[in-house]
Amino acid sequence: MSIRDELGRLDEEMEKDLGTLENLSALEALRVRMLGKKGQLTALLRMMGQLSAEERPQIGQLINERRERFTRMLDERQKAMQQKERELRLQLERLDVTEPRPLPEVGSAHPNTLVLNEVVDCFTGMGFEVVEGPEVELDHFNFELLNIPKNHPARDAQDTFYIDDNVVLRTHTSPVQARTMTTRKPPIRIICPGRVYRADEVDATHSPVFHQIEGLVIDEGVSMGDLKATLAAFARRLYGSDIQVRFRPSFFPFTEPSAEADLTCVSCRGKGCRICKGTGWIEVLGCGMVNPHVLEMCGIDPHRYSGFAFGIGLERITMLRYGIKDMRLMYEGDLRFLRQFREDVKEG
Amino acid sequence: MKLSMNLLKRYAPIPVSPAEYEERMIMTGTGVEGIDDLSEQLENVVVGKVLTCVPHENSDHLHVCTVDVGAGEPLQIVCGAPNVAAGQLVAVAMIGAKLPGGTIKKGKMRGVDSYGMLCSGPEMGVPTELYPSVGDAGILVFQEDYPLGTDVRDIFGLKDHVIDFEILANRPDTLCVWGVARETAAAMGTELNLPRIEVKEDASSSIGDFAKVDVLDSDLCPRYAARVIKNVRIGPSPAWLRQALYAAGMRSINNIVDITNFVMMETGHPMHAFDLDKVAGKHIIVRRAKPGEILKTLDGKEHVLKGGELLICDENGPTGLAGVMGGEESEITEGTHTVLFEAAAFDRTSIRLTSRSLGFRTEASGHFERGVSPQTVLDGLNRAAQLVNELDAGDVVSGVIDLYPKPVVNQPIVASVARINRLSGVELTGERMVEILKKLCFDAKAEGDTLTATAPCFRQDVEGEADLCEEVLRYAGYDLIPTTPLKGAADGKRSTGMLRNDLMRKLLSGMGYYETMTFSFIAHKKLEQLGLEAGDDRLNALALRNPLGEDSGFMRTTLLCGVMTTAQLNQAHGNEHARIYELGKVFDNVHRTAENLPSEYYNLCLCAYGESEDFYSLRGSVEVLLRQTGVDYTIVPTAETWLHPGRAAAIVSGDETIAVLGEIHPAVAEAYELTGRVYIAEINIPKLFAAAKPMGYVNGLARFPAVSRDLALVVAETQPVGPMMDAMREAGGKLLEDISMFDIFRGPQVGLGRKSVAFSLRLRAEDHTLTDEEITRVMNKVLKTVSEKFGAEIRA
Repeated sequence: MSIRDELGRLDEEMEKDLGTLENLSALEALRVRMLGKKGQLTALLRMMGQLSAEERPQIGQLINERRERFTRMLDERQKAMQQKERELRLQLERLDVTEPRPLPEVGSAHPNTLVLNEVVDCFTGMGFEVVEGPEVELDHFNFELLNIPKNHPARDAQDTFYIDDNVVLRTHTSPVQARTMTTRKPPIRIICPGRVYRADEVDATHSPVFHQIEGLVIDEGVSMGDLKATLAAFARRLYGSDIQVRFRPSFFPFTEPSAEADLTCVSCRGKGCRICKGTGWIEVLGCGMVNPHVLEMCGIDPHRYSGFAFGIGLERITMLRYGIKDMRLMYEGDLRFLRQFREDVKEG
Repeated sequence: MKLSMNLLKRYAPIPVSPAEYEERMIMTGTGVEGIDDLSEQLENVVVGKVLTCVPHENSDHLHVCTVDVGAGEPLQIVCGAPNVAAGQLVAVAMIGAKLPGGTIKKGKMRGVDSYGMLCSGPEMGVPTELYPSVGDAGILVFQEDYPLGTDVRDIFGLKDHVIDFEILANRPDTLCVWGVARETAAAMGTELNLPRIEVKEDASSSIGDFAKVDVLDSDLCPRYAARVIKNVRIGPSPAWLRQALYAAGMRSINNIVDITNFVMMETGHPMHAFDLDKVAGKHIIVRRAKPGEILKTLDGKEHVLKGGELLICDENGPTGLAGVMGGEESEITEGTHTVLFEAAAFDRTSIRLTSRSLGFRTEASGHFERGVSPQTVLDGLNRAAQLVNELDAGDVVSGVIDLYPKPVVNQPIVASVARINRLSGVELTGERMVEILKKLCFDAKAEGDTLTATAPCFRQDVEGEADLCEEVLRYAGYDLIPTTPLKGAADGKRSTGMLRNDLMRKLLSGMGYYETMTFSFIAHKKLEQLGLEAGDDRLNALALRNPLGEDSGFMRTTLLCGVMTTAQLNQAHGNEHARIYELGKVFDNVHRTAENLPSEYYNLCLCAYGESEDFYSLRGSVEVLLRQTGVDYTIVPTAETWLHPGRAAAIVSGDETIAVLGEIHPAVAEAYELTGRVYIAEINIPKLFAAAKPMGYVNGLARFPAVSRDLALVVAETQPVGPMMDAMREAGGKLLEDISMFDIFRGPQVGLGRKSVAFSLRLRAEDHTLTDEEITRVMNKVLKTVSEKFGAEIRA
């Protein structure tokens, strides 16, 4: 048989065997049989010596052409088979992606902390600095410097816990104001979050321990309009851009003029509902312009400086934020309650 | 404070609906808690005349009546009252009438149709204050003549609203009808019509002949005034007076007592009426009590006084507590003949302390505590005398006793219009300010920028420019206040303490812990249940003088008690596993501050229980916090009474113990009603951050290969692994890049009481590939160290 005939036979064999391959190892065997060192094409190459000098380059070219073609055919075939095999494997690896599995548990900060963080972000964004003060406080800072002398009836309203005649559990975060004013010079722009204490029995809306966030600004030419704008920014940030602030006249010994700040009811957005008793407004915090007498007692010149102060009840705004109906849930620590909380991304 | 709206309207017209009125008052600073419509309790009940009244055929007590209600045919009504009779004027509840007990329907009583009901006072909810004889048995029979068909609410004064005002602490002057009327007239823009006070005196007698008053302690009684009424004619009060008292929630007693109560309600001046004939020596002495002095009060109780309480005395001794409660002896009775009216101003602190210490809180003491202006005392006294004239309850003796040694006068306040506007942010002219202040009864004028204003005599709360600002602003309208964002830049920032706590919380959330909060109070018993040894600072907790109860008598010195209680609650509520923490202040009562206050600092308490929790999982959580804050620490076994003795560790950095952690001791778990193994850690936050290091430069990736060597060392079972690793790390020096433990084996192969601990060591040099000699040198040094220090042998 001539080499040419042999080449023709190889072409047919290749064609045939490639069509009947069952798996990748059969393909590899075919590759060895055809193209390997001891393969048929190599064997033909070895027979080249028998050929004439004329024929040699022609046949050589034919053999090389086949080597390239067979390689290409085998590669293509291999690629196709590999792909098929992978598809088959992927088919077998199919998972029920809806099957339930336990999740890694991520915890959460307390709802009070979550809301406090939002409030603090809001006020630090407006240039307020966070300042803290003691919870076991001198009567001097908790009352006297705030225009609430001994035996003032306003003390009754605050149901104070006493340690002794001169030391109390602070009834509000306002003593941090007094401490700051006596130690710093204006301009002052602070918020003071923290625990406060009142001798109230526990029920759905009262607790002997709760949190306030005090705010204080002292500078030249500070007005009640500045106070309103500051609180409006806070309300919008916490509850949404449609929330309005309304001031009502009120009285606190350490501010004059004083106001109760109402917000658009966060539940009905002002239409009137059970939560706002149909008024469309909810009472949220007390505020006012720092009483000149307080400024004077704290060593700040009331003729040069004015300022405002406000006190936010953290539990109140937290309950409004999450629709919590009973304050006791916040101090029990039942995980069925706590597991519902997570941190929100809030735009500034 | 509850007031009748009809009474209020007599002094200040209210041309709007109750709801609009409420809104307007709230927005001008007079709080309103709510408005009740009294007319809602009684509807469709009219005056009728009983035309005929015959006994019911099938009953021994019912009567069948025909009743004329002024319109249409007379009604047939069956009535069970024994006092019903023909000719009576009665209250007829028509079909569909609304009574406090329900709605009236057509009925049939023992075969006879009944088209309504004849009512008794109680059936209509009408007390004696509204109609005197309603208390009698049977149906109410009107004593006066009324047109048939008259709505009975007109007779009882029930076409009224009761307004519940919430009076601010600085406005005691509005704690009365006249005060609210002044605010109402200003708020409504209507005319204020307070009655002109005129007293008709009996010229034939002079007060000096009847009574004498001495005030010995005028510091506590700046003003004391009295009038005498002779020929007193005790009797019931007229309907208008009874109805006014009823709306305010007061009972009607008799004309004289009702006058004193009404004057207090109307003018804000508490009045007292003495039966002058029962006042020993007809001499009233106002003085401080002596220590140990005994006073018998109206309720019959005897009180031993501390001394210093202000007393009303006669020549026999104390008869009453000034401004709080009168004496039994001189009480007004049916037989009273001569009355002395007292109107006074007492020191509010003195009244407050007295009423507090003796446990009496009366309407009068409430007024005095909040502050009664001495300037208007005579208004109250003379108004009472005027009402005596009007009610013909006696003859007013001529003259007034008025002890007022240091008259008080409100001084003019000079303010700047511009400064007021700067404070409020609202632009008002001086003229507008004057206009508002005048409506509020101030004497005011403006000249250029200067506003001069004098508060009316009944106001004691106006001290300066800021007060004028508020007065002007609340009537101009708080709604006018603009929103003007703060000017000037400032650096807002969180405090260091807050940032530290933020970091702890963030890490803990990531590890699956939930934050809890408990009260800062603890019961001392809970501390004792930790088994702390005598002398432990934590037992020396700060005590409250007036705690809410035994469970909350002290300020916490540790978070353990609160967190264990929270864990217990979760177990009791069926939460099978938990990772919780509290990050809160504790109060160190031993180490006190420069102000002699307890030291307050944050502790962090972690607690975990459940299937996947063990000592090491909790310790791991604590270690994450330490590593994430850059603390170098060692873990050492420790002993705490509240921890399992074999499962308790302290985290130490330098000389300080930063944290203590472990498994809760079974005895403590039992005391706290915890079940199963519960793990707990308490971390001192200031100490943790004192040991914390900020992050520094990081290393690039190593350029030369590392070599790993495993080492199995046999040591005594009791030998802790931690110190071995520390020693190996030290011995390995710079070339020992890392060391970790990967197995502990116990078994007969290594011998009883011994264990084999397998370590993996990774060696690497920064600047070259390690040679065999270098590796051998390091390994030998490590081996030598552990064998010398811990008797460790290489496992064969």
